[in-house]
Amino acid sequence: MTHAPVRATIVGAGGLGGPIALSLGAAGIELTIFDHDLVELSNLHRQIQFTAVDLGHPKATRLAGLVVSRGGKARGVVAKWRTPSELDGELAEYVAESDLIVDGSDDPETKFAVAGWAVANGRQYVIAAALRYGGNVMAGVPGVACYRCLFEEPADVPSCAEAGVLGPVVGAIGGAAAAIALGIVRGQRGLAGALLAFDDLRSVAEPRILKFAPRPGCPACMRAPISPLATPLRIAEGEPS
Amino acid sequence: MPSIRVPSALRTFTGGNADVETTATTVRDAIADLDRRHPGIAARILDGSGAVKPFIRLFVGADEIGSLAGLDTQLTDRDEMSIVPAIAGGSDRA
Ligand SMILES: [Zn+2]
Repeated sequence: MTHAPVRATIVGAGGLGGPIALSLGAAGIELTIFDHDLVELSNLHRQIQFTAVDLGHPKATRLAGLVVSRGGKARGVVAKWRTPSELDGELAEYVAESDLIVDGSDDPETKFAVAGWAVANGRQYVIAAALRYGGNVMAGVPGVACYRCLFEEPADVPSCAEAGVLGPVVGAIGGAAAAIALGIVRGQRGLAGALLAFDDLRSVAEPRILKFAPRPGCPACMRAPISPLATPLRIAEGEPS
Repeated sequence: MPSIRVPSALRTFTGGNADVETTATTVRDAIADLDRRHPGIAARILDGSGAVKPFIRLFVGADEIGSLAGLDTQLTDRDEMSIVPAIAGGSDRA
């Protein structure tokens, strides 16, 4: 795993964060996992990294423990993700030095904050989301159109809390997010800057790969060290990976 | 006939259908046509001024309409238009 980054931050230790952390941890990437929630009985059917013995314990530390028990390196942080400037000491360093940040949270504000920080600081990132029977995965690297070029504001469409998500769907989306994350850290940029839309995993496992251009005025790209607005790369288009 | 790919979050309007056919020849007309048959859905896609909401993106084939002709992008017979929302959900709750 010579090309793997030393460090990654995983935001969310639930249905998406579980497969993401286990896959990246198994690939030798050192993880810092954020989640403020505790494991509840209602989580177990789709957060298959947890069992009854985890009930009532923090998701972040339990998931980190599982990664470690499988030979990986991970620490759990029982808190919502924040930018390094809002964190203290060692923890601020771990996040600041992450080569990759992967969002599997269920919170639209967090997704925007993660993407904004990653783009402004020139980091690789993956934003994953699942709802009902489908979901989206977006991977970004410096210099391509970003998550906030695509979506200008957090959504007011239903979240899992209102609409629910089918158990196997989060596992499939989390697995896809992990595969794409491992790809980009190994330099496979074919899917960077594109949105993968999984419409309905009950019937169609194949994602649609959707392309978009950098958005003039994107607040994240305007702060980026390599702005796609200054150097319009179309990495999403047909580059072998 | 062009088809419209409706996301999970808006299928309550289409009786659960993921794909809806349309005779419209532009993206703007396709949304109007969709709303005639499934009243209320346009208000979830466009704001009061008729612009696409900031957390919704429309694609024709693989391309976002911003890189085409926006809402005036032409639809031809074999085009698939997709409505893609920024999904908030992810992990934790039922
Ligand atoms: Zn941007």
